[in-house]
Amino acid sequence: MASLLRPLYWTIWASPRRRAQKLLQFAEVEAEGGRDLVRASELTVDPVLRRLFLAHARDEERHARMFRSRGLALGVGMPPRAGNTMFDWISPGERGLDDLRIKDEHLGSLLAFIHLSESAAARDFAEYSSVLGHDPLTRSLFDHIGRDEEHHMRYSLAQLRRVASGGSRALLWKARLRRLWKAYLRLASAIAGIMSTVLLTIQYFVLLPPFALLAKFAMRREQPGWTVLPPALDSKSGREF
Amino acid sequence: MKILGISAHYHDAAAALVIDGLPVAAVQEERFSRAKNDAAFPMAAIEWCLDQAGLEPEQLDAVVFYEQPALKFDRILTSSLRSFPHSWRSFPKAMKNMLGEKLWIRGIIASQLGVPGRKVLFSGHHMSHAAASFLTAPCGEAAILTADGVGEWATMTIGAGQKGKDHATSIKLIRELRFPHSLGLFYSAFTAFLGFAVNEGEYKVMGLAAYGVPNRVDDVYQVIQRTADGALELDLRYFDFHSRAETSFSKRFTDLFGPPRNPNEPIDLASQDGRRFVDIAASAQRVLEDILVDIAQALHRETGFPDLCLGGGVALNGVANARLLAESGFERVSVPPAPGDAGCALGAALFADRIHFGQPHRDVPDHPFWGPGIEPADLLRLAREDDIPVEEVDEDALLSDIADALWQGAIVGWMDGALEFGPRALGHRSLLAAPHDAALRDRLNRDIKYREEFRPFAPVVTLEHAHRFFELAPGAERLGRFMSGVFPVRREWRERLAAVTHVDGTARVQVLDPPMAPRLARLLDLYGQRSGIPVLLNTSFNLAGEPIVNTVAEGYSTFRRSGIDLMVAGSICVRKGGQRHEALSEAAE
Repeated sequence: MASLLRPLYWTIWASPRRRAQKLLQFAEVEAEGGRDLVRASELTVDPVLRRLFLAHARDEERHARMFRSRGLALGVGMPPRAGNTMFDWISPGERGLDDLRIKDEHLGSLLAFIHLSESAAARDFAEYSSVLGHDPLTRSLFDHIGRDEEHHMRYSLAQLRRVASGGSRALLWKARLRRLWKAYLRLASAIAGIMSTVLLTIQYFVLLPPFALLAKFAMRREQPGWTVLPPALDSKSGREF
Repeated sequence: MKILGISAHYHDAAAALVIDGLPVAAVQEERFSRAKNDAAFPMAAIEWCLDQAGLEPEQLDAVVFYEQPALKFDRILTSSLRSFPHSWRSFPKAMKNMLGEKLWIRGIIASQLGVPGRKVLFSGHHMSHAAASFLTAPCGEAAILTADGVGEWATMTIGAGQKGKDHATSIKLIRELRFPHSLGLFYSAFTAFLGFAVNEGEYKVMGLAAYGVPNRVDDVYQVIQRTADGALELDLRYFDFHSRAETSFSKRFTDLFGPPRNPNEPIDLASQDGRRFVDIAASAQRVLEDILVDIAQALHRETGFPDLCLGGGVALNGVANARLLAESGFERVSVPPAPGDAGCALGAALFADRIHFGQPHRDVPDHPFWGPGIEPADLLRLAREDDIPVEEVDEDALLSDIADALWQGAIVGWMDGALEFGPRALGHRSLLAAPHDAALRDRLNRDIKYREEFRPFAPVVTLEHAHRFFELAPGAERLGRFMSGVFPVRREWRERLAAVTHVDGTARVQVLDPPMAPRLARLLDLYGQRSGIPVLLNTSFNLAGEPIVNTVAEGYSTFRRSGIDLMVAGSICVRKGGQRHEALSEAAE
């Protein structure tokens, strides 16, 4: 799969502008992941895990700074991009602990999720590094962060084995299935989003024009400035409208 | 009566519980979810409020939502129709946004809380702001001015309120300004233009304005004009927010003011572009102030009341508030500790109690501490587990030690009692430091708050000493109570208060009435005995991008991750040095 995507990755990372934007985006994802880990450290009662989560969070914060700094260096003078693009789906960076409600998570599930997220990130970053021969600084950044992700991957697995003892394998499979389910939900909601946008846009152009005309006529009759409110309006009714 | 107020779904969701006319709990959802400005339905905040009072949802007499969703939907739909066909991109987004959840509030509240739909009431958005401000202010009658981006249709209202012990409390909103003409959205457009996040970065524009010269006021008055009746009107050719979701200003706006700032690039005051940005910030700020002052002067002439109650997000602009106090003719200006949408949860509950149900007025305790308390023993346990030096000492010795540490340049994380309701840390979840050293301010910015260097820090001083250090106009103590006004630092003290004096010689001072936070007041006295200046730098206990800490564990993790030297929770004190770190590489073995 990775080798199939390689030409696509090459295309994505070839443009300095897109590279800058992706790195800035990764910085945000890493910072968000760091905050999730801080939250995990605040909630756990296991002192070893608390210290490990804090150390991991510090790494994520450092990665965020590194990505941001390189992104800004690459993007000097470029205007910021508005909104997401299709490429954000194809080269996601680290997903961190997205969609995870830290306070509702069992410790074992959380560690399994961290392990899988870090593994995916290490794999992705290695792929990105392999197509960045033309940009040694960004390449070394991915190599450096990728090594950290491998540490994260290993410590989370070791701790999962400690916390869940015999059940770690089952938890990992469960986490894999959850990631798959979440990926499906993301895809399904994206498709639903596109479909509803198309339908609403059709309605906008087919159904709304006569009402738009009326609304525009009504707007012309409105006076600028204050609207005087009726004396009885102290909203005693408590209604929705 | 037991009434729960809720604000949600736009920014800064919150819940507040009022029992027999008095608040018993109020808290923002972000303090539990740890997502800054969390707008989600505030289930955790609601649960905490109910737990605090030992209530089950079915025991509530009413649940009040802070605005009228159907009326809001009417505004969004009508705006899309009026800007047809330019609104074709924003229309699907707006419809999905409203129809997905925001329109069905009664059903959501009923199903989430298990209360019958008939118990769910609604208050107007600006009525909630007005109630939050007027019904909590220590005055019997007052003029009311609310201003924010937009509620349902209203963007600004003026009115008057009267309190009566005999079921006669009233809030009369006399006039409203309607969307899209909005002072809040005007300021937000400049916030976006200057590269800051809308609904969050407005205070940065205010801070930046002090560096500039208001030499673009005439240009600003091209985009916002006064109407004959004293209101205002935006020239919509310069704005995009009414027809597009992505941007708030149009190409004509950038033709007038030049290219917008790239949010990723710092503001370099030495560059031509940097000067342009600060001058634009100063000009937009000046126009906002001039318009507010003018409207308030007219309101004072109309009502004749000595008190003005301000509400809505615009009331967070401390520079404008101070000018209102000085120039509007009102003797006192009251801004509640949570004037934004979060405060509407409390406003809506008080509105229902006093006005919808006609209950007699009761004076609301004049403090912001309506949130969860702390468990100091947690700090003892956490620190011991991490081999951090920790001590439990008696009150006098503890405060004395902290005053010594502050005088020696330490940055102190201070947790005491119940959490503040609203965006300001007012002495229960604060970072404290000496106010004299600009290097300390830079250290705070660099190692702890990680924020732009142009943003000032605020001082806290007791009522007794406030006039010695700050030029406080008559009535300024009221604004200073919740850090809602910006006032000049007396010239002779500016150098010795360098860490809290902004570039224009002002400070957003908290004037502390000792009974409101007695331990902090004592600490200020002790610090004053050592330094000769009973003033401290007081900023919120959080890191960049995070909400203010709530629990001791959150304070502790903030302490561990930043350059804070010392943390205090109740009578427990921990210091940096010698703590255990866990190496990830070793843990992986």
